[in-house]
Amino acid sequence: MPHFAVPPEFGIRIPNFLPPPLDNSRYLLYFATMAETATPELTPGTIETTEEKPKSGLEPGYLVVCWNDPVNYMDYVTHVFRVVFRWTRKKAEFHMLQVHEQGKSVLKRDSMEKAEHYVHQLQKYSLHATMERDE
Amino acid sequence: MKLIRLTKGNFLFQFGKREKHLLTQVLRLYPRIPPATFRLSKSGKLPDAEANQRLLDESLAEQREQNRKTLQAFLADARRFTDTESGSRLSLSPSELEWLLQILNDVRVGSWIILGSPQQGIEFKILNEKTAADFWAMEMSGQFQMRFLEALEKREV
Repeated sequence: MPHFAVPPEFGIRIPNFLPPPLDNSRYLLYFATMAETATPELTPGTIETTEEKPKSGLEPGYLVVCWNDPVNYMDYVTHVFRVVFRWTRKKAEFHMLQVHEQGKSVLKRDSMEKAEHYVHQLQKYSLHATMERDE
Repeated sequence: MKLIRLTKGNFLFQFGKREKHLLTQVLRLYPRIPPATFRLSKSGKLPDAEANQRLLDESLAEQREQNRKTLQAFLADARRFTDTESGSRLSLSPSELEWLLQILNDVRVGSWIILGSPQQGIEFKILNEKTAADFWAMEMSGQFQMRFLEALEKREV
């Protein structure tokens, strides 16, 4: 018995004395029998265009910063960080304490679009958050 | 006000008669944060800074308007609060609770801004007849906020 099976529809006989083939050999045999003309992917006259967004908007070069204020409760700030960033309590508390003790905390470094999104989310909760270019 | 039952999709609070009145009074103050308070950037070193700031202002204004309408419907819904002998009960879903936290914090932060954004420890120096109502709104919204946060904590335990 050969070590592999060839689908009968191909009509190719595999001698028994051949050494065991590689796993993909039956597919190689299949493709060897199917000579085709390659069809070009681009038809004449077609111009391939790719929309390129401004580089500055895609690179993760923007910081989401939360600033300290004396009005937002510490528990509330922790809660908002957990909701907006889906952080663990430990991580959220770490950043909340950083805001409280150092006046600010960098919460994320991301692309401009994502940083804008996070700032908007934090401001929806009335937190003092901004985005700054990472220089 | 206390949480009396917590199920997967629901928080049930018991309010005293006066507490219900206080909560609705505080909520009616929304929105309190003046428009265009928040800045997108502190340094201003962003591409298209003005246009992006305008977009943020518009987006927050839209959000505020939507919240205002939802809040009106919330307050007008007579079935929201179920009267009991000792007061009334309020049932909230987790997303409603999250939304109420945003509303209450707007009232708190907005009142603080109206008071002149006083630093911690000196705020009571400016407490007088003229500022008493804003102090009341700031402190009362904060009290409700803390009770709701405590309820959310219990969900995690």
